[in-house]
Amino acid sequence: MSGARGNGGEPVVRTERVHKVYHLGKVEVEALRGVDLVIEDGEYVAIMGPSGSGKSTLMHIIGCLDSPTNGEYWLDGEPVSSLRGRRLARIRNRKVGFVFQNFNLLSRIDIVENTALPLRYLGGMRRGARRQRASAVLEKLGLGDRLRHRPDELSGGQRQRVAIARALVNDPSMLLADEPTGNLDSDTSKEIMKIFRELHSQGHTVVTVTHDPNVAAEASRIINITDGRVES
Amino acid sequence: MNILESVAAGIDEAREHRGRTFLSLVGLTLGTASIIAVLALFGGAQRQSEDFLAEVGGAGSVIVRNDLGGRIELTPREAASPQLTWRDVLDLREEAPHLKYISGARHWYLRYTGPRNSFEGQVVATVPDYAAINDIEPLYGRFITEMDLEYRTNATVLGYSFADSLFGSPEAAVGNVITIGQERYNVVGVLTREEFHFAAWSGNAFEYRNRRAYIPLTTALKRIAGDDKLVWLTLEATDPMHLETAISEVSDVLLRRHRVRDFSFDRSSEDIAEGTEFFLLFDFIFLIVGVISLFTGGVVIANILSASVVERVREIGTRMALGASGFDMFMHFLIQSLFITSVGGLAGVLIGSALTSTVEKLMQFPAHVTPGIFFLGLATASFVGIVAGIYPALKAARMDPVEALRYG
Repeated sequence: MSGARGNGGEPVVRTERVHKVYHLGKVEVEALRGVDLVIEDGEYVAIMGPSGSGKSTLMHIIGCLDSPTNGEYWLDGEPVSSLRGRRLARIRNRKVGFVFQNFNLLSRIDIVENTALPLRYLGGMRRGARRQRASAVLEKLGLGDRLRHRPDELSGGQRQRVAIARALVNDPSMLLADEPTGNLDSDTSKEIMKIFRELHSQGHTVVTVTHDPNVAAEASRIINITDGRVES
Repeated sequence: MNILESVAAGIDEAREHRGRTFLSLVGLTLGTASIIAVLALFGGAQRQSEDFLAEVGGAGSVIVRNDLGGRIELTPREAASPQLTWRDVLDLREEAPHLKYISGARHWYLRYTGPRNSFEGQVVATVPDYAAINDIEPLYGRFITEMDLEYRTNATVLGYSFADSLFGSPEAAVGNVITIGQERYNVVGVLTREEFHFAAWSGNAFEYRNRRAYIPLTTALKRIAGDDKLVWLTLEATDPMHLETAISEVSDVLLRRHRVRDFSFDRSSEDIAEGTEFFLLFDFIFLIVGVISLFTGGVVIANILSASVVERVREIGTRMALGASGFDMFMHFLIQSLFITSVGGLAGVLIGSALTSTVEKLMQFPAHVTPGIFFLGLATASFVGIVAGIYPALKAARMDPVEALRYG
């Protein structure tokens, strides 16, 4: 898991005039109104903004969960704004590592299987190899003695560490964390923030989306979103 | 995600929802089992009726009867006709080259007297070909021969039960003498015991064959009848292909001798064809019933899977965020459905087979699960799986990951 991407100096994220329009019945809602954004390789960035500002929409587009209505987006130098469905899913799988506020772990399977989930969709790896790689990542995050446990047998902080391991297992271009400490107490939050800081120092690109100034303060750069625009 | 991984996911799913999976399996298993058992049992019933017809006078054999259309007033020609006679048989033997066997017979009820017993019973006067047509085999000694016919011998061949009650044991009969009616006969053979049960609780349908004796036709015509009239002739062609040729040869000979068409032909194979159609109709009806019950099981599975999709919206969103495409989710649910129904189908096929062989053993009923029935059962269950899986799978595949992640 090296942080260096070796993509010829291309920024990890580059957007040009990204617009996103939702249709709620007959009402058009313009969630993003021309976002220009560059996140360089190895950066630690926090995206901040009040609710309704469009920061979630921006995160969905950056994370390739959604496509812009207008404008261009290059992820790791690859144009992805016109991709849909299966091809977008592949990009998501290889280039984005999601960390969710609610962890979103599958409670029925052990944490190794949870961590190995992105490898399943990557394809081409046998189950044994997948488990092996997942276990290695979990060990790095200090969960080596819990491999056979299920998520509901772990504490909140441990669960979020499993989620981080899952995000890292495919060696993505960036880690995209949506309110990663929103469901954690302050001590545990500090522990998780420390992990992000360490990953950043190892060369990983980390993007957190938050409205918590303490979380944002950890980042080396803060991007503020208001009314669907990036404040400069 | 490749197919094998989807299968693994389906197995995981089934294991994680044991109760739910079990319930849907029960419906499918019963549906498939009923299809298998019904098809096997009706296939057995059909084969059995064919066996019976083959034994009593055979597929491919034709009966010639005296037939005056049920009228009492006869035309002069009809009155002049000798009707079916022993001479007809002798001429047909010479002049109908496509006949393999021809037999005629007369029956009487006469008193039997042997060393151990005396009773009234049936006597059948016939010819050697009768044994070939009716599949009769001597257990001891021999059947009636051409020599017996030619010399009008007093030979008799006893059915198994008669030999047993006249002599105390069948093997003691051959070489001894009994009285039938007014005449004394040498026992030259005892026949194999014949048995046929439509079901275990029903009696031996062939017992009448064990309770009779056979004597040479020529002997009986001279000593008992005093004429050479016969009631019917049974014939078999050299080859089933030549049956119609043989019938027209017989018809020509009889017309020439009788000078009037006072006879008719019964083709037993026609009865078999009718019987087969009847059973095919039943097969069809019961197949439909089985398919309907299977589809009911399928609807239950579709319902359960739909609920499972709704219940797992967030999980689907998560999987999609981690790189699963809509197609992956489609396959995930479809293969899951296919897996559950295939397991149910397999269990159903096995239970149906077990049920069939139990019926076969307990009731002596020749039911049999053929490979065709086996695979039909499996294929139907799998088809139900695909149909039942499509709706929930599409529902999962069409989900928007953003919406799905926000859900709940």
